[in-house]
Amino acid sequence: MKAVCWMGKSDVQTLSVEDPRILNPHDAIIKITRTAICGSDLHLFDGFIPTMEAGDVLGHEFMGIVEETGKEVTNLKRGDRVVIPFTIACGQCLFCKKQMWSACDNTNPNAHLMEKAYGYSGSGLFGYSHMMGGYAGGQAQYARVPFANVGALKIESDLTDEKVLFLSDIFPTGYMAAENAQIQEGDTVAVWGCGPVGQFAIASAFLLGAARVIAIDRFPERLALARNLGAITVDYSDEDTSVLTALKDLSGGIGPDGCIDAVGLESHFSDLQGIYDAVKTTLLLETDRPGVLRQAIQAVRKGGTLSIPGVYGGMLDKVPFGAAFGKGITMKMGQTHMHKHMKPLLERVEKGQIDPSFIISHRITLDDAPEMYKVWRDKKERVTKIVIDPWAAKAA
Amino acid sequence: MAKVLKEKPAAESPSEARGTSVIIDGHYAPPPEDKDGKLWVRTSMLIQSDPETLYRLWRDVEKAPLWQEQIVEVRRTGEKTSHWVMKSNEKNIEWDSEVMADEPGKRIAWRSIGGDSENAGEVVFERAPGGHGTMVTQLQQFWMGKLESVWKTIVDRNPKQAVIESLRHFKALAETGEIPRTEPQPHGPRGTMGELKKSLYGEKIPVPEGTKERISA
Repeated sequence: MKAVCWMGKSDVQTLSVEDPRILNPHDAIIKITRTAICGSDLHLFDGFIPTMEAGDVLGHEFMGIVEETGKEVTNLKRGDRVVIPFTIACGQCLFCKKQMWSACDNTNPNAHLMEKAYGYSGSGLFGYSHMMGGYAGGQAQYARVPFANVGALKIESDLTDEKVLFLSDIFPTGYMAAENAQIQEGDTVAVWGCGPVGQFAIASAFLLGAARVIAIDRFPERLALARNLGAITVDYSDEDTSVLTALKDLSGGIGPDGCIDAVGLESHFSDLQGIYDAVKTTLLLETDRPGVLRQAIQAVRKGGTLSIPGVYGGMLDKVPFGAAFGKGITMKMGQTHMHKHMKPLLERVEKGQIDPSFIISHRITLDDAPEMYKVWRDKKERVTKIVIDPWAAKAA
Repeated sequence: MAKVLKEKPAAESPSEARGTSVIIDGHYAPPPEDKDGKLWVRTSMLIQSDPETLYRLWRDVEKAPLWQEQIVEVRRTGEKTSHWVMKSNEKNIEWDSEVMADEPGKRIAWRSIGGDSENAGEVVFERAPGGHGTMVTQLQQFWMGKLESVWKTIVDRNPKQAVIESLRHFKALAETGEIPRTEPQPHGPRGTMGELKKSLYGEKIPVPEGTKERISA
């Protein structure tokens, strides 16, 4: 089959590889009908996530048709249409039973690698480094899905792939970000980063009762999408704009009740701290560039909540913890508990409360993917979300 | 862990023989230290099953190759004795083992009684506080110089880590009926660095087969 492979930093290639096969009794093989490139794939592309191996198949947002099932998969059959969550969960361990699915104990075959770095291992993920399991991803024509009996979400309506594909990651991730911001009816919420997760966080904040959502980014196409959702937009690259002042001005001087960092470890700042992080990450004295995190801690109101769906990987420098303590803020973060959110969010899509396909800007083939990784990284061609049809032939 | 070993797994001093106990007289007891060519590893996992079921799975020694790393065959040779075959770097290591203590649903202690490997161990099954499953604590002892251990770590799995990984496999098998794995799976060319990383990450050590049958209730 064809698959998008990580071959090194800034080197992604579409190659012909073996087909996946069933290895365990709760596995299923999925023929992928739609897949996507995630903003977090850019952290891999840029070499920020350790334990990638040349040849790794990328991709963790995919859906398709069940092709084959393992012996113990009784709730799926060949031909079923399914969306696959990017986190793999067993459904039986203490954490799964507590609905903390992305903390599953039993799905990371390389748990010892993560234990060394983080103390304990979270669940395995598709196509996201060997520390996170080393599972082949879904930017391919087929994928093996472990614990398909637990994870696969069946689509029984005739909703198009594009309307349900994002239940695989970014819609639940944006939704959990809004939920983690502990939004109360009438709250003001600020969202840093208007990429796909930021857009879904904005939409979800409104669904959960926010009265005002402030969206921060620098790309006009993303800010326009955010305004379409009802947010007030702030362009942080505008020389006359201070984000902290803007957030005070837009909240009567008290700061937002909830702040959502949908940017993560590769934030861009041109001021002194931007230079500081660039130097330290280059010298390997720091692994992440936590500019948004610092700003959000500063911005959030006293007793407010900071929700972090943006990915962080390692050691952060100069985090204003005194401000966090001094204001008594709450911080909530982590990989999305996908299995808890997929079904209720599918119901929202079925009821027409939201059409997640609004973020798609590009529809491509697997052969186009390597080039589109660059376009996505450089934010060219007004790209907001790239969806791949793995069976489409490259246009001549 | 309230239990104190009465049998000494390898005729050690009482302080060492108490090594599986995590709590002694209400106080935390750290694991025994490596010395004089003896390596110890103590590891504990919380498993969502009951002590009796887990005891039975562990005591079924002939099924050990399903979840213990690099163990390729175990043959029962008597009520309390068994013959073990381990395959490491294409080399077979064989020894005989004897159960020293056997309390159904509570604990098992064993030691080697001849062959290529000298080892002793104990496993204790205890209901976790608050009824959150069963705490399974294993203490394993090897006779091996530090130099040999370093060598094994480079060419193969460190024996201490192997004990931890096997208990992890035991937990996955008991809770889910399978052991997570990724090999073989689709991939592009790995190159020299990719192959090296696979070795470093322990990905070249075969994952035990697990079972096709579901074990937990």
